[in-house]
Amino acid sequence: MKKECVAMLLAGGQGSRLYALTRNVAKPAVPFGSKYRIIDFPLSNCVNSGIDTVGVLTQYRPMELNAYLGNGQPWDLDKSDGGVHVLPPYLGAGEQGSWYKGTANAIYQNIDFIDMYDPEYVLILSGDHIYKMDYDKMLDYHKRQHAAATISVLEVTLEEATRFGIMNVDENDVIYEFEEKPKHPKSNLASMGIYIFTWSKLRQALIEDENDPASKNDFGGNIIPNLIAKGETCVAYRFSGYWKDVGTIASLWDANMDLLDINSGIRVFDKSWPIFARTNICPPHVSGPDAVITHSLVAGGCSIDGTVDNSVIFENVTIEAGAEVRYSVLMPGTVIKAGAHVEYAILAENAVVEENAVVGEDKGPIAVVAGGVVVDAGAEVSAGAMYTEESKGGDASC
Amino acid sequence: MLNNVHGILMTNQPGYNLKDLSSIRSISSVPYGGRYRLVDFVLSNMVDDGITDIGVVLQQGYQSLLDHLGSGKDWDLARRRGGLRLLPPFSMVNSNSQRRIYQGKMEALIGLKDYLSEIKQEYLIVADADIVLNISLEDVFEKHIASGADVSVVCSKKFTDSPDYATYFTLKEDGSADQVLTRPEGDCYESLSIYVLSKNKMIELVDYSAARGLNSFSRQVLPLKDKLGLRVVPYLFQGYAARFPTVADYFAKSMDLLKKEVRDDLFNPAHPIRSKDRSDPAAYYGPESKVVGSMISDGCVIEGTVENSIIFRNVKIAKGAVVKNCILMKDVEVGPNASLNCVICDKSVSIGANRTLSGCETYPIVYAKGTKI
Repeated sequence: MKKECVAMLLAGGQGSRLYALTRNVAKPAVPFGSKYRIIDFPLSNCVNSGIDTVGVLTQYRPMELNAYLGNGQPWDLDKSDGGVHVLPPYLGAGEQGSWYKGTANAIYQNIDFIDMYDPEYVLILSGDHIYKMDYDKMLDYHKRQHAAATISVLEVTLEEATRFGIMNVDENDVIYEFEEKPKHPKSNLASMGIYIFTWSKLRQALIEDENDPASKNDFGGNIIPNLIAKGETCVAYRFSGYWKDVGTIASLWDANMDLLDINSGIRVFDKSWPIFARTNICPPHVSGPDAVITHSLVAGGCSIDGTVDNSVIFENVTIEAGAEVRYSVLMPGTVIKAGAHVEYAILAENAVVEENAVVGEDKGPIAVVAGGVVVDAGAEVSAGAMYTEESKGGDASC
Repeated sequence: MLNNVHGILMTNQPGYNLKDLSSIRSISSVPYGGRYRLVDFVLSNMVDDGITDIGVVLQQGYQSLLDHLGSGKDWDLARRRGGLRLLPPFSMVNSNSQRRIYQGKMEALIGLKDYLSEIKQEYLIVADADIVLNISLEDVFEKHIASGADVSVVCSKKFTDSPDYATYFTLKEDGSADQVLTRPEGDCYESLSIYVLSKNKMIELVDYSAARGLNSFSRQVLPLKDKLGLRVVPYLFQGYAARFPTVADYFAKSMDLLKKEVRDDLFNPAHPIRSKDRSDPAAYYGPESKVVGSMISDGCVIEGTVENSIIFRNVKIAKGAVVKNCILMKDVEVGPNASLNCVICDKSVSIGANRTLSGCETYPIVYAKGTKI
């Protein structure tokens, strides 16, 4: 059936800067904010915006992401018409193929999928940002501007602008130039990696781009500059609200800490724009007789007997009496034994900190313990360390 | 896996009185344990052991149960073949023969005769849906087959405090039931109202009951077991089990959840208790919160003090408020500097600033759904 707008979510990124957290999972499947995975934010935004057809382009370590998405039921995307579709790279008979060569190539390879819904517009999203956004308002803007492409932008400081793709615009917010990480930015409008295209225009641009052997097949670097060069209308859509790229350990930690101010930032408690997640079956959490829990988020299934302050605690975490956790993010199933001390740290799923071990130090930088890794009794993981099975015994022991 | 077993859940309990908690809903949908309804336990046990066809027999006050169960999706019971069957009263009767709402299990099943005879599985597990326990029904079923019993009854030796609400058995030497009692006497077993029997045997007993006006399975049919040639074998369940005929039982047994051994018994990750899923964020603790010895659910915002309490989802406890020995259900709001001790607040009760409410452990006060204080 025809859809007005289909969303394509780029979820193939390796997230190499999150290293210890993305060794076994794609970045969009990294747990975030006590209950969620990163991908819950764009997916929930789609559903809340009335978009019910989402293609998720996977590539790197897709198993956990596929399992998490399942049939899309937690997001009401289990639909007989539309819904969520996982789209891995594929080969036809006799074809010499490869992974998705770039963001644009990923969409190019799935032109047939999009054509199946015969949409007027296509929304391109990435799976590594935390934000709440009504894409329907952006689509209205795209239509009113009669644009070929609308790029969502955020006003940043000129200093920050050197780290982003920057849109240079005229007085009507029509983009005349795109600069990737400019040394001397002319504008402070940073691309948020959210694009709406009129499908007929994008479709043609993708085919032309694919036929250009010099192209890197990238939306920011190729497709948008080519559209501008052809004289198509590309406009900036100014977004003001919480938006955070969580591509690095520091920014992922920051974004988690931002959640502790529940009346600002992403406002996960605001029911008017709910964030949906696939949740595990677990009972409510329990605080023991000596527990001290302050300024923290704690999910179901946890058993807290120690001290927790300024932290984000996921499901089924155990914190024993006498253990202290401060300014940290503890992913599902982590165990902090008696007398252990965890500070300015991110612990991945099922990590164990044995008795009297120390992870991280006051004010960081952030220490990371990889999934399933055991920090032995009395051991020390220094600030800023990436503690993995391989690095154990080396620099990390005391 | 119990793929030759059909589950039937009975959701009402005549005689149970949880005051305002049960006046607006059937006993099976009384909230319990922070995020559950009583029905979740037996229903999850059935699903976890592979029963995929389950009929839920409704009687009255079942709107909240319908909301909770929905399509059965959260128990994997929204299925093309089988799944959840909701069986409201009067649904199969058109004649004038049955004009009053059914009272006992047998009367309910007489009204559901067509449903019973269409069941594809050979065996039935018929259970009251208001018992809290985590039991391997697979083991119960295997023992039922091995013992050659006509009817197996899950029993406990830990007696409830309110003996008027259960049936008790004394045992013969071969382990089968001897006397069927309505009050405990000597060394006897207490029925937990979970029965295993073949579909054909059940239909036989339903016909027998219909012809003689018998309503109750445990109190009228089982005592006739010798006359009917029924071999009734109690299955001794060793784990934690609770039923909730009175407010005092409800309060005391909810507080049992604050004991680790009870939680470990009921919440086994390999045999989970499923419930309706809601998209709530994790619970938030404010900078000045003080929460000890309590069970706290997702979506709560706690800025005050909580001790020895069970707090359901989306409860808000303001700064300076003190909540001790309480059960606060979903969406309850406690205003700044309010003080609560030994009270049970049903859903959406709102308590203003500086209010003091107090009950007593043996007589907790129940505030009805939506009360504003």
